[in-house]
Amino acid sequence: MIRTQLVLRVNNQQHEVWVRNDRTLLDVLHDDLGMPDVRYGCAEGVCGTCTVLMDGDPVSACTVYAVQAEGHEVVTLRGWSDPQEEAHPLQKCFLARGASQCGFCTAGMLLTAATLAERNPDATREEIRHELVGNLCRCTGYQAIVDAVEDYLHLPAEQTAETGGAQ
Amino acid sequence: MTTVEPGTTPDTIEPPEAPTKFDPDADSGPLERERNLRIVGQSPAHHDFVNKVRGTLLYAADWSLPGMVHAKLVRSDVAPARIVSIDTSAAERLEGVVAVLTAADVPHNAIVEHASGGLGELTIDQPVLAFDQVRYVGEPVAVVAANDPETAAEAADLVEIVYESLPGVYSPEDALADGAPLVHDEGNVLVNWHLDRGDVDAAFAEADVVIDNTYRSQHAEHAYLETEAGVGWLENDVVTLRISTQVIEHAVEIAAILGLPQSQVRVIASYMGGGFGGKEDMTVEPYIALLVWRTRRPVRMIWSRQESILASTKRHPFTMHYRTAATKEGKILAVDADIVGDSGAYPCLSARVLFAGAALSTGPYKVPVVRIRSRAVFTNNVPTSAFRGFGAMQVVFGYESQMDALAAELGLSPEEVRDRNHIEKGDILSGGEPLTTAVAVRETRSIALEMLGEPSHPSGPNKAVGRGFGSSMQPYGRSIWFRDNASAWLTLQADGTLLIRSGVTDLGAGQAASLCQIASEILGVPLADISVYIGDTALNPPAGGTFATRQLYMSGNAILRAARKLRDQLTPVAAKELGVPEDGVVWRDGMVRTDDGDTGLSLAELVRAATDAMVDTSVLHTWRARTGGFDPKVGQGHTYPDYTFGTHAAEVEVDLETGEVRLLKYAACHDVGRAINPVRVEGQIIGGAAQGIGYALMEDCVAEEGHPLSSLFADYLIPTSMDLPDIKVAFVESGEGRGPLNARGVGEPPIGPPAATIASAVEAAIGIRPKQLPITSERVLALLDQRSGQQTQNGERP
Amino acid sequence: MTVQEVVPTPAGRTPATCFEYQRAESWADAVELLELWDGEAKILAGGQSLIPMLNLRLAFPAALIDVNPIPAADPRVERDHLVIDANTRHRVLRTSEAVRTHAPLLAHAVQFIGNVRVRNRGTFGGTLSHADPTAEIAAITLATGGEILLLGPAGERSVPVDDFFVTYLTTAAEPNEVVIGARLPVAGNARWAFHEVVRRYSDFATVSVSVLARPAAKGGLRVVLGGVADRPIAVDQGLLEPVLTDPGNPDRARESADAIAASLDPDTDLHATADYRRRLVAVHTRRLLAQVFSEEGAP
Repeated sequence: MIRTQLVLRVNNQQHEVWVRNDRTLLDVLHDDLGMPDVRYGCAEGVCGTCTVLMDGDPVSACTVYAVQAEGHEVVTLRGWSDPQEEAHPLQKCFLARGASQCGFCTAGMLLTAATLAERNPDATREEIRHELVGNLCRCTGYQAIVDAVEDYLHLPAEQTAETGGAQ
Repeated sequence: MTTVEPGTTPDTIEPPEAPTKFDPDADSGPLERERNLRIVGQSPAHHDFVNKVRGTLLYAADWSLPGMVHAKLVRSDVAPARIVSIDTSAAERLEGVVAVLTAADVPHNAIVEHASGGLGELTIDQPVLAFDQVRYVGEPVAVVAANDPETAAEAADLVEIVYESLPGVYSPEDALADGAPLVHDEGNVLVNWHLDRGDVDAAFAEADVVIDNTYRSQHAEHAYLETEAGVGWLENDVVTLRISTQVIEHAVEIAAILGLPQSQVRVIASYMGGGFGGKEDMTVEPYIALLVWRTRRPVRMIWSRQESILASTKRHPFTMHYRTAATKEGKILAVDADIVGDSGAYPCLSARVLFAGAALSTGPYKVPVVRIRSRAVFTNNVPTSAFRGFGAMQVVFGYESQMDALAAELGLSPEEVRDRNHIEKGDILSGGEPLTTAVAVRETRSIALEMLGEPSHPSGPNKAVGRGFGSSMQPYGRSIWFRDNASAWLTLQADGTLLIRSGVTDLGAGQAASLCQIASEILGVPLADISVYIGDTALNPPAGGTFATRQLYMSGNAILRAARKLRDQLTPVAAKELGVPEDGVVWRDGMVRTDDGDTGLSLAELVRAATDAMVDTSVLHTWRARTGGFDPKVGQGHTYPDYTFGTHAAEVEVDLETGEVRLLKYAACHDVGRAINPVRVEGQIIGGAAQGIGYALMEDCVAEEGHPLSSLFADYLIPTSMDLPDIKVAFVESGEGRGPLNARGVGEPPIGPPAATIASAVEAAIGIRPKQLPITSERVLALLDQRSGQQTQNGERP
Repeated sequence: MTVQEVVPTPAGRTPATCFEYQRAESWADAVELLELWDGEAKILAGGQSLIPMLNLRLAFPAALIDVNPIPAADPRVERDHLVIDANTRHRVLRTSEAVRTHAPLLAHAVQFIGNVRVRNRGTFGGTLSHADPTAEIAAITLATGGEILLLGPAGERSVPVDDFFVTYLTTAAEPNEVVIGARLPVAGNARWAFHEVVRRYSDFATVSVSVLARPAAKGGLRVVLGGVADRPIAVDQGLLEPVLTDPGNPDRARESADAIAASLDPDTDLHATADYRRRLVAVHTRRLLAQVFSEEGAP
């Protein structure tokens, strides 16, 4: 077995790990670093459950090896919005709209929607749906999620957080 | 007259009791003092939903213990086949491997369905680990545990198994043929339900029209985003499992498998990342338990997505041959239906699925004479079992297609033919029991159709637009002969906060949260002051599993009554403290007040007073659903407690040159009795419709000779955000549900209508009816070809 | 029960050892490492195809050479060609002004590649090297024509796109050669159209049709099909004669499209039969040809 010693920067904190080269960022974040907000869905990169931000962009943590993530900024849901702090306005919109049922897709939905909002604050419903096409949900039928993102985009500027992306 | 096939083992249940012998549903509605609902009917987001959005909820795999090992199943890659030899030596030698187990290591190697009531099905055990043969591709043969998942995967690959192929059957038709290979020695027909009423032959003889069609549906995969997973450990000699499961009562089976007393197994249900029936049978439990017991170490097992798609239980494909006899005015005289379900290699819940299919096979219509035959047939395909809708869902495609066909035959509109036949409160259902709650199906239909709005125009040449609708009825609550019950334990704590303990399991639809909402309504405790603990065989009173759309009905009623009991128990204490008569006490906003609101006690003060008065501040209540008997030999009795009716409507655009179907508009309306949490109810309807739309248009587990063509999630097509239009939802609140405060169950109903609705819309667009699911573009093109072939034959221009 | 056949599972399978991981800081580095590993190493670029394959234990390379650290300059025009470095992320192909102007067909097709996460990681060079017969980028580069730039132990060379895609997941790159970029003739005033048939939005294409119409001197009419063979197919010019003799005539477009469809021998798989693929090609090729040669022009 071949392992590499790495320093990973996750949610603004440094972590030293000693991992097999073939361990994905998903497995290292979830199992080795104890971050349950990044979860296994498919290992194919198609479902979006394991979405994290790498240098501010959504990626599938299951299609990035941990060794590749060294030198990059990784942000998970709880890094993007600290559960000890007040919920992000986008999260409040999700709650108001019932956009989370079983909740398994929620982390991926939030992070992907957050980056969309930064890049395209005038996104239409169609564009929201397009951006979320790679985040599969089996419970909600997507509509409440699209509603929540739309609500967020329509919030007056002072109600939205300043940054939603990588810290 | 219901009969059971010779050679099966009928279990006679006591004869039917009079349905109104005792009616525990009478108090489900709001009492006088509860009429002004403050929390119920609102849509607060609370409890687990907040944790999910904040990312703090711990699912089954989000659990770790020191020394935890990782388990992986070794599954057959051929089937059916005799197991010639299993060599685990190379796997055992791999460094980091802690255990490699096979059938010989299982104390009692059988998964036995409990509490099924027998009811005429063959008794066939399913092995935990295959011992002499494998019957489906993906059947577990061995299990390994290792210090890390990579080593476990390597070890699994090192287990060498030699198989000897056997002849197999891969469709019910093949399995029913003379001389077909037997999946099980006992026979290929698991159960053969007959529902008979009246003289079918006479009815058909006098009919003006007979509509004769066969409909086919496919295997479908639950595709929850959280795969099957759990962690087990030994704690004080108790095998403790924390599992993503809908049914903690499987603890009993696990004890049997390990040969342990039931008190030595504990199952805790984590909040599921989706269930839909796929976590209703045991999944990872027996393997984790076995390894925990053998290794004495904590064990984690997570099924890969691909193994979940390959081998987890699926929805039964149904072949439904319907003959409907009617007068020329469109009144149905009789239905003769033959339903065959592919039960796969093992029984699981097939007998009950096919029963539900039989019981609901005629839909929300008056059908005075029936001959229904419904068989679960073994094949060497993947085992099929529970999936949202549970048999009652597959038949919607059958009965609604028949109604549309009847309309077309008689030159009536689809609405008119249904209006002439819709069932009404008081009518007798196929099983012989009366329908005793309101039927608002007509209303749901007109609302759904209205929500479609103005018809769309085709977006170009070679495109056609069509619209259609489908109505359905879906039972909620378990079959009545199961003597269903649910318990809830409420405790008002010293600081006035409320503790709810219930054995419910939560699959993401607010099973736990709804209990909080109801308790909050009755006792006035703010939601933020309520803690709910669910799904633990050791610590919570049993509530039964989360399936059959029963949880709101059962646990909701349990909580409603428990809360009322607690309120009634403590009201005298409050009245004495406040110096008012008992009926002058109001429970609201975390306090107990006088009517005029001038004086009150905090709940903490009330608890103190109650403690002084030696009055319990805790209630454990068991609510029992109505019971009734069903006699499979006689074929009459009680089936389900109640039904939820609804109608969906859709508009599609079909590309006439390629068969591609685009869903332009979709609307859904259900009678939900009362919406406890409207946003959640709407979420169930849209989510269920979305799953039904996937089933209608794109989902299929395609296999050849029992081998799936792909196990990739990339190839199992569930709808994405781009495949669905905005779905318009409305509910009718007839106020006649049997659930708490007259709610009706809404979990399963919305998945029923979509297939029929879309087939109806496609037929309107192209002039010919799809009779096979899913309605892929390739199949639509074939129908279009068929149509132009017919037209050419008739001398029309294609 | 008679013995039908004895089916042993693959015995003696060696346990997978984990791959060695090495980073290349330049394409020369990557080539050197490939040589050192002598065919036992694979290049790791976007990883969107490779890593799932390894996650599913479908391959066990001895080493992965991560080329992500190698920078990519922005797409740019040099001598009438759009130059795209191998490590250009798909996302950039969509937003780059140079690509939108000089290879609009490419910029358009990229939106259909996977989803936002795939486009954030997947690279132009990686997709070309992977040579999936349904890949949009492979089809588009075949339509535009041009050259694929390779670096190997013997130095740099270029391969005309027409010769690059050999068969399933196989290119003309020699062992130890890597794709370092491509040069695509600029679009100029070319008219173009693209359509892919998918079972669900963002899926792999069942079939795709790309049409690019340029003045004869600049390459003429190119029609490329994806998903119909073991690689993207540039339609034989002979089959395009009808539409070339009378562009704008819908019957000629139909004639060409039908001939093209009839010439194919696609696969049947769980998503579509060979016959259905032919039907789709006939319909969509006709429609795109009509669109490109109509008065209104290309999108």
